[in-house]
Amino acid sequence: MSNLLWNIGYPHFLVLAAVLFLIGVVGVLVRRNALIILMSVELMLNAANVTLVTFSRMWGDISAHTFALIVIAVAAAEASVGLAIVVAVFRGRRNVEVDRLNTLRH
Amino acid sequence: MTRILSVLLAVLGIAAFGAIGAPARADDAPPAAACPREIELGVRNALSPAVPATTAGQTPITCRIAKTPSRTENGVVNAGAIQAVTAEVALSDGRVAIVEVSPAGKVLSVHYAHSDLSGSSSPLMALVFWIFALVSVGGAVFVITRRNLVAAVMGMVGSFLGIAAIYMMLYAQFLAVVQMLVYAGAIMVLFVFVVMILNRPEDEPVAPAGRIGQGLGGAAILYLVVRLIWLLGRVEPPNAELAAAAPPPVEQCVDWQNHACVQMGSYDWGSVRSVGTDLFGAGLFPFEAISILLLLAVVGAIAIARPLHTDDDAPAKTRAEGAA
Repeated sequence: MSNLLWNIGYPHFLVLAAVLFLIGVVGVLVRRNALIILMSVELMLNAANVTLVTFSRMWGDISAHTFALIVIAVAAAEASVGLAIVVAVFRGRRNVEVDRLNTLRH
Repeated sequence: MTRILSVLLAVLGIAAFGAIGAPARADDAPPAAACPREIELGVRNALSPAVPATTAGQTPITCRIAKTPSRTENGVVNAGAIQAVTAEVALSDGRVAIVEVSPAGKVLSVHYAHSDLSGSSSPLMALVFWIFALVSVGGAVFVITRRNLVAAVMGMVGSFLGIAAIYMMLYAQFLAVVQMLVYAGAIMVLFVFVVMILNRPEDEPVAPAGRIGQGLGGAAILYLVVRLIWLLGRVEPPNAELAAAAPPPVEQCVDWQNHACVQMGSYDWGSVRSVGTDLFGAGLFPFEAISILLLLAVVGAIAIARPLHTDDDAPAKTRAEGAA
């Protein structure tokens, strides 16, 4: 147990990423606010990035860093478009709770 | 109820750190032996500033000696000739110098490598890891539990900063800086702006679900998490063969001491240089594709968030009427 606490290895990083991803999944499933759901998606993307970087270090392959950079860029694009959708929805119906968004019209 | 369940699950996930086995280590290193006298002297000379010339009180230099296999000819056993000698020296700053020496004791090349993560995990390093793991997980829990949206965004920023520190611990310095710039900078500002625009507290933050649904969902998530953590806890580190197949360190030839030209490989892992070399080499097409994606995202965001009111169309209509 103390070995586990003081001897940090790759599984620690991987399990940390798993926990972060899990929290993101719970956020997406449980919360109703579209903004919180977007933030949870960002958390999940970050957890995937942590996994990528850990495997990169583990296998001695730098190309996972490139992959993680691209994931960051995709996450930024996703956040901008998602927030634009949130703003558009809010303008139409004055709330952004996903449970109430069940029609395509205003 | 569901909120409590989610927090419980997160805490369970953290506690599951204790359930995984001790990190497995690569124990398949070839046998290392003490160096012959002349080789050890040559190595100590080459690393003279970092390693004292005397052997007293120093970590021993280990040698891995590759020999041609010994053969038996006409009943006489011929010992194999020494082909190459690789000496490993653990320096005081946590790095490992890998020195290639000729059988005569002449230093051929010196490479520095960070010792492996599990090897360099001093108690301080472990403490840093646990602190930042706690920060990132705590921030994430903050995101999914807060009612106040600004508090949730701040929790997200804290989580991202913790993840940036985790990147730093994985020797991904460039990625850590990018993470701070993009997430804790740009995306945070974006979220805060939208929160300010909406500025409307939600009535009920958690979606209600039936008791059966809650039970089934909780059990499914629990199973998933246990399986995932069990799996991740058993991930094997690479063996020495794969580590040897890793891209070679950047080489620069420096005139060091009296050796004519020692190939000194600074093992820059995760620096701007190494990431950029890969990004503009093998990753060039994705890089260019990303630029198009970002352009599309900018245009799409503007097009979506633009007001749909007919005020915009009014000038066009009057112009059309004027033309008619």
